[in-house]
Amino acid sequence: MRRDRWLSAFIGLALMAAWEAGVRLWHTSALVLPAPSVVAQSLWQGLASGYLLPHAWRTIQEVVLGLLLGAGLGFAGGLVLGESSRLRAMFMPYVVISQVVPKLALAPLFIVWFGFGTLPTVVMTALICFFPLLENTATAMQQVDHQRLELFRMLRASRWQTLWRLKVRASLPGILAGFRVAVVLAWVGAVVAEFIGASQGLGALIIAAQGSMDTPLMFAVLTLITLLGLASYKLANMLEQRLLRSQQDF
Amino acid sequence: MRNCLELDSVEFSYEKRGAALHAVSLQLAEGEFRCLIGRSGCGKTTLLKLAAGLLKPQRGQVLFQGTAVARPRPEMGFVFQSPTLLPWLHVLDNVLLPLCLHGEVTPTDRDHARRLLRQMGLQGLDEQSPTALSGGQQSRVAIARALVTNPGLLLMDEPFAALDAITRAELQQDLLSLCQSQSTSVLFVTHDIDEAVYLADQVQVLEHGRIVHQMNVNLPRQRQAALRDTPAFNAHRAELRQAMEAGR
Repeated sequence: MRRDRWLSAFIGLALMAAWEAGVRLWHTSALVLPAPSVVAQSLWQGLASGYLLPHAWRTIQEVVLGLLLGAGLGFAGGLVLGESSRLRAMFMPYVVISQVVPKLALAPLFIVWFGFGTLPTVVMTALICFFPLLENTATAMQQVDHQRLELFRMLRASRWQTLWRLKVRASLPGILAGFRVAVVLAWVGAVVAEFIGASQGLGALIIAAQGSMDTPLMFAVLTLITLLGLASYKLANMLEQRLLRSQQDF
Repeated sequence: MRNCLELDSVEFSYEKRGAALHAVSLQLAEGEFRCLIGRSGCGKTTLLKLAAGLLKPQRGQVLFQGTAVARPRPEMGFVFQSPTLLPWLHVLDNVLLPLCLHGEVTPTDRDHARRLLRQMGLQGLDEQSPTALSGGQQSRVAIARALVTNPGLLLMDEPFAALDAITRAELQQDLLSLCQSQSTSVLFVTHDIDEAVYLADQVQVLEHGRIVHQMNVNLPRQRQAALRDTPAFNAHRAELRQAMEAGR
């Protein structure tokens, strides 16, 4: 396991070295493909000067708010649809429609409805985070062991007790897997929404860097988004491990 | 002796699988240990669920201590085929689950649960996760959970089917002593002839949703392992086997 991790890090370093060597060897213009050392320099300058920080902070805020809103609504919707097969049959087609519509195409509409700034980005992020939580919660709740459900019936548990003390607890692995996916997608949602209608945030900065032909800055911002995305995924993983520590199924 | 459980001409059909029970009648006396034996799919589990109030009969009625059973009752305990323990609760909390769903758990309840665990040979495992226990230990916890409310009637659906022969024999012995000490009536479903003869005061053979044979077990009430090798035990076993084969 430890050896595999070292091997994985080595592969990453080898790819970076190949990229650096390729750019130097073929004298590729930094406008097209900057070398990793140039990207690192641009990232360091952006961080040290404080230029990147307000943008990063804005995106982090939008990701957190969008994630909380979308994941919260997705979880609540999943509980309702998981509890009632009739409601699932009635509403699931509309939920799927809301998800197959390309989100990028919705962004201009969101600007019309919610104006410029944080709100349309948060709404877009929430819309993207909503589905994994809803689908995973509803599906996991319908897969709860029927003998355990009968046990709760036999023990005369109320519907509320069965929901919270059995169904939600037994569905936790599925729900948290959905949350992990939502955490990753939240960054996609926020950055894509910022492309269209924001003056601040890492997505807006990529568009600004493109306008000024500053490709190293574009790569630096992409690197920062990747690092922040990885950190949030790691946090979600830690939360999952903590919550599931005592819950290994038979 | 008063009847603890009574099934009067009970009939039940599943929508997809068709008829499961045909006019089954059964009287279980208080303190009696009754085994229902039959092949897979003969309607044993359906009968047990009807007795528990988990299913409603389409004809006939189920009475518990003279009152019609419309839904599960607090005086009944149920042990399922698999232990159905909750892996996010400790062993002690699993045993206390039937109590904590209906109010605060008192120190007396905790002492009672610990005593049951001790009687089931699980002392010192209160704070363990159920996932850390063996299959036999998990079955013991499930029995302790069913007995924690001191039920008058215990319904058991092949609870030892997945266990090895030695563990099963130990559990049978422990179950008998616990039920005798608490004067609990038991309706025990199994497909194992030896298990039925060893545990029961009376055995009924179920075949295609009908009771086709009834046998009183005329063996000493205090069962010992050596009993399994006696001619009397073998005679009971042979009678049951014949009844099951005849009902095919």
